[in-house]
Amino acid sequence: MQNNLKALTVLFFLLLFFALIVGCSDNGTSSEETEQETELKDPSEVGYPESLTYWAELNGNAAQTAQTLNDVRAYQVMEETTGTTIEFKHPSGEGTDITEQFNLMLASGKLPDMIEYNWRTVPKGPDNAIEDGTIIRLNEIIEDYAPNLNQYLNENPEVKKTVTTDEGNIYTFPFIRGDEKLMVFMGMIIRQDWLDTLDLDTPTTIAEWEEVLKAFKTGDPNGNGEQDEVPLLVQPDDFKNIGPFVGAYGIHAQFYNDNGTVKYGSIQPEFKEFLTTMNRWYEEGLLDADFAAMDGKLVDAKVTNDQLGSLFGYTGGGIGRFTGLMEDHPTFELSATPHPALEEGGIAATAQKAFPHEGYHSVAISGQAENPEEIAKWLDFAYSEEGHMLFNFGVEGESYEMIDGYPTYTEEITNNPDGLPMSNALGKYIRANYGGPMIQDVRYVEQYLDLPAQKEAIEIWEETAENNINMPPITMNSDESDEFNSIMSDLDTYYDETVIRFIMGDEPLDNFDEFVATLEGMGINRAIELQQAALDRYMAR
Amino acid sequence: MAKLEKEVTSFNSKPKNKMNSFGEKVIKDFKRNKVIYLMVSPVVLYYIIFQYGPMYGLQIAFKDYTPALGFLQSPWVGFEHFKEFFNSFFFWRLLKNTLLLSFYSLLFAFPAGIILALLLNEIRGGIFKRSVQTITYMPHFVSLVVIVGILFDFMARDGVVNDILVFLFGGEPIAFMREADWFRTLFISSDIWQNVGWSSIIFLAAMSNVDPALYEAAKIDGAGRLKQMWHITLPGIMPTVVILLILLIGKFMTVGEEKILLMYNPTTYETADVIGTYVYRKGILESNFSYSAAVGLFKALIAFTLLVIANSIARKVGDTKLW
Repeated sequence: MQNNLKALTVLFFLLLFFALIVGCSDNGTSSEETEQETELKDPSEVGYPESLTYWAELNGNAAQTAQTLNDVRAYQVMEETTGTTIEFKHPSGEGTDITEQFNLMLASGKLPDMIEYNWRTVPKGPDNAIEDGTIIRLNEIIEDYAPNLNQYLNENPEVKKTVTTDEGNIYTFPFIRGDEKLMVFMGMIIRQDWLDTLDLDTPTTIAEWEEVLKAFKTGDPNGNGEQDEVPLLVQPDDFKNIGPFVGAYGIHAQFYNDNGTVKYGSIQPEFKEFLTTMNRWYEEGLLDADFAAMDGKLVDAKVTNDQLGSLFGYTGGGIGRFTGLMEDHPTFELSATPHPALEEGGIAATAQKAFPHEGYHSVAISGQAENPEEIAKWLDFAYSEEGHMLFNFGVEGESYEMIDGYPTYTEEITNNPDGLPMSNALGKYIRANYGGPMIQDVRYVEQYLDLPAQKEAIEIWEETAENNINMPPITMNSDESDEFNSIMSDLDTYYDETVIRFIMGDEPLDNFDEFVATLEGMGINRAIELQQAALDRYMAR
Repeated sequence: MAKLEKEVTSFNSKPKNKMNSFGEKVIKDFKRNKVIYLMVSPVVLYYIIFQYGPMYGLQIAFKDYTPALGFLQSPWVGFEHFKEFFNSFFFWRLLKNTLLLSFYSLLFAFPAGIILALLLNEIRGGIFKRSVQTITYMPHFVSLVVIVGILFDFMARDGVVNDILVFLFGGEPIAFMREADWFRTLFISSDIWQNVGWSSIIFLAAMSNVDPALYEAAKIDGAGRLKQMWHITLPGIMPTVVILLILLIGKFMTVGEEKILLMYNPTTYETADVIGTYVYRKGILESNFSYSAAVGLFKALIAFTLLVIANSIARKVGDTKLW
């Protein structure tokens, strides 16, 4: 028996050894493959590829009717035109689920031909992804094989600046918002019918907001005899990343650009004033007691239960969607309010306003793709006149008709026979309503926002914030973003908890100085320096 | 076995083979016991593929790993990641939360199974006993996601539990899932609710092995139910209890991260954030693989140390031990 045991042990270690060898050699080959070819083909010889693999999130608007993007009409037509079959790989879930699957895909070393993601914010940054061969530099390829995109970028140097890194690399086929009107889509939304019932004016300053919220709380505007109204709902991430009410104090909660100097809003004394106000509103029951742990369903429930007085939301997914959901309510009416200012006649320093290109929904060609030139040609189709119409309006005769030279959505979209909401009906045909590697057309949004309140919203939100301090879409190099991320990941966890505790009153505001000191101890000043360096380079581009 | 021994003797009786190299012995042995090797191979393979194989990747804890370079090419950084973790703002909180959650579940959840088993053991047969047993172990099969979903629903500000509490005692409803102070209580008690029936099974099995003659004797000596439980049942299942306890201590630092991930949010991080969830956030979400490998390794080392200590204590105190 002793012999058996010994032999077994030997066998065991032998197998272990082999397993290790196999593991090693796998790694060896995959890192060799990532070396890219430098020789480019003659543009005139390049055709559309036969088949491609494409990793992309399947947006909820499309997922309603499509299993993969191949079920979306625009891609079906594109396949007929180009002869290219696409094998889509869709990660499941949303939000962090996508991040998780993206990171694991990169770690697995097996990459599809095209990867759609926000490459601007990947760990270590886009330049590093190009350097280590995960994706390829596109400048030359776009010049030679993507004439339509190339032309657009050359005609719009401001856009070109945002799609290029500091090292001069273009790294994706970008999602571009083609018009100013497409860049403002979030702000404070209020129950106009409640204002009317209580005979109140639209609030424009923090003080007026407080009055209105108090009236909502006590005046029983929903008329059910109970004090069940929730006057205000803003989620912590919105305070933090976009800045409703924060903007009134002249700052942004995160990094902002004060005339070329980067500052971090939450360590400024103004942020304490903001927290004091929010804390008071929370204590008085004006700010929703559940604001700290919200999800879409809970927000929906509060709106549809006729309880919510005002919220921070979208023109489409907020005003449009809730108006649709509350169709049967006799008086339900939402309207956009100006971004709150601190004083009468003042203006908010910051609010939601997107840049033409921020990185989302943009497609990079992976370093393992065998025919980048052909892929570029395929991707360029969406930026051509034909592709532009296809991805913004769908198929003529099906989803739109040309009326006096204006592509008008048909009933199929605006009043879907299967009862689909407009956003989902659009998702069945196009990608303009959520984004993709294409140029978004303003004529889409003009029709998508069919309610007068929505059209007004864009104008009101555009006018009532300066947006001069907003941070442009900067990029960091690999070392910087390594250091920045390692500072910010712990710092953000601490920040998120503590800000919520300040607002909920679990942490007295007298401790604000300690909060600032802790952030400084965690390295916020170094993070500011890193942002400053990136901003300086961005300005110099 | 008889045949095997015979062959072993015949093997030893051949003097020619004595000088053979080790490798040849292995091949000989393999040829002779083909079937036995075949039988053991799935288990060996399992350990190689799923337990030992992945250990090869542990080296990234000491490297600055990037997927594009792979395990081997990534540069060495020594104990850099460990230093970063020990100096991390959250180090002490993570350690404290992990240890406390483990300790509480050892303190409350582990005895719960024993107590339920003891109670069930006192019921002499019948439908009642069997139905209690079935009902208590059913939740074990419910998916964790569903359990946490139910928890969120019941414990919400306008959920059943708050409705009852407010009805009985008045006062303001409590947002249980958003109060850091309530997190541990909810985590442990829902764990007990889900698993108490399941963990009692093994103790019930141990109890059925206790010699009935002992109870007879005790009864004759005038011992009541409680005395019998204390002096016969409990000592009878003690070896099982100790072994399970040691095994549990081996998993001491693994506190059910999946459940915490489902349950926690920034308002409860203060008590809920443990090493496992930190590893998930750092490694998978921020793709900081090296750092999270180092943190995971640190956790495994603590668990291993605890296991060795627990085993040596068990050795000293009684005869029951793992090795």
